[in-house]
Amino acid sequence: MRLHRGETIIVDEQYMKLERVLVAVNGKDSDVETVKLACDLAKKFKAKVYVVYVIEVKRSLPLDATIESEIEKAEKALSRAEEIAAEHDYEVETDLVQAREVGPAIVDEAMERDVDLIVMGFGYKKRFGIFNLGRVIPYVLEEAPCRVLLYRENIS
Amino acid sequence: MYIIIVGGGSVGYSLCKALLREGHEVLVLDKDPAKCEKFEDEFGSVCMRGDGCEVAVLAEAGASRADVFIAATNEDEDNLVACQVAKHKFGVPRTIARVNDPKNEEIFRRLGVDCPVSVTNVILEHIEEKLPTHPLIHLLSMGEGKMEVVEVKVLEGARSVGKAVKELSLPPDSVLALLIRNGQKPQVPTGDTVLNVNDRIIALTTVDGEEALKEALVGRSNG
Amino acid sequence: MFWRKLPVACYYTGRISLEEAVIVKVIIMGCGRVGAQLASLLDAEGHDVTVLDINAHSFRRLPPSFSGTALVGDGTDLETLKKAGIEQADAFVAVTQGDNRNVMAAQIAKRIFNVPKVVCRIYDPLRKDVYEALGLEALSPTTIFAEMLKDRVLS
Repeated sequence: MRLHRGETIIVDEQYMKLERVLVAVNGKDSDVETVKLACDLAKKFKAKVYVVYVIEVKRSLPLDATIESEIEKAEKALSRAEEIAAEHDYEVETDLVQAREVGPAIVDEAMERDVDLIVMGFGYKKRFGIFNLGRVIPYVLEEAPCRVLLYRENIS
Repeated sequence: MYIIIVGGGSVGYSLCKALLREGHEVLVLDKDPAKCEKFEDEFGSVCMRGDGCEVAVLAEAGASRADVFIAATNEDEDNLVACQVAKHKFGVPRTIARVNDPKNEEIFRRLGVDCPVSVTNVILEHIEEKLPTHPLIHLLSMGEGKMEVVEVKVLEGARSVGKAVKELSLPPDSVLALLIRNGQKPQVPTGDTVLNVNDRIIALTTVDGEEALKEALVGRSNG
Repeated sequence: MFWRKLPVACYYTGRISLEEAVIVKVIIMGCGRVGAQLASLLDAEGHDVTVLDINAHSFRRLPPSFSGTALVGDGTDLETLKKAGIEQADAFVAVTQGDNRNVMAAQIAKRIFNVPKVVCRIYDPLRKDVYEALGLEALSPTTIFAEMLKDRVLS
């Protein structure tokens, strides 16, 4: 499989069979490219695309607590994902999830929906001056039962 | 209920498993990341890495909404401090501490731990109940550690033998709830009930009144 | 506590006068650097000092001139404390390396043995606040030293 930045994506059909794709969005800029990438891949196989936003609930609150500010952020991110998909002539199903930890929640959602591929975005950042993938990405890369595509955005 | 357990060792593990099975929300705190990972693998997001005696860690763990706090580490002083911080800083209603060294059980109770549990002591009491020197067994702690349900055996030579309950100088706030006599149905003793040797009494008493209760029921007749 | 006549030099008038001084019976738990230093200071002023440590090797920190008592034992153990004379003690200081042990011993000294003056070290400032609220006299070297450094840096 060869990927061309920005233009068409050439996919070797023998290796990539897709029926369901899960995209994890987090409201950051990398969401745009991530959703676009997932839609382009899914189009080829008419795969179903689920876009999920996970709200991480601190332990000082019960798991089903309603946190207005977080829900607002989530809904904004999910609407944007729907818009991006529409711009690329594709339809996505969005879902809002509340969990204690994002990584396990993404893996759980992937397992529940029996997806073939998880697509995640990563905004390039350096924490304390060193490159760091955070907690979610390494967890999903290690624990996901399916393929994982990690999109790292450009260093601007 | 939301239950926080400090200490991911064998006791913490068993408690976590049992409580989750009953449908409670559980969080285990342990300083060792390897232990945390084991909990995560088996139960999901139920373990947080941190020192359960630290205010900052307990705040992050949501201690202020916890219903029960259990300190189950190997170190008694850590269990004591964790319970005290949980109670006095976060207002957790019920604190339970594992007591490794039996002699600390009383100290913990006096320092405000609702339910200090020393397995050694429980076993010892049951063994010693057969011996004349330890006729009082703790059965249950109630009312946030302020009340105790105890079983007292009336021994031979005790000054209460042959006396009616109303004649005994029982401490205030103690109640003789049940009288168990060999060959008879358990009965609720009244003021006129006369005590015999080998009678077993289930009584409710305050922590402070326990000694006096013991003295009244099984103290010896001649000093 | 007992009164003893000690000579006290009075440099202002150039005379030596006999004044009454108070001897305090202190038990110190933990013979680390601070514990040993404290023991030595109190001992030099003529007070009755007993030092407890779980490890005899720690007593090497005490000066050769130390005239108090050094006992091997655990300051959270009631029997050890009684052996150290806690029932007659005027003061109890807990300065082991462990915050939690210090706090437990201090509470035993205060609540069970009713020692009049009980002071303990708690490194963690937040835990110190909890115990101060419970009526324990606690000092946090973390806060104290950070503030001292701040003053130095800004002076």
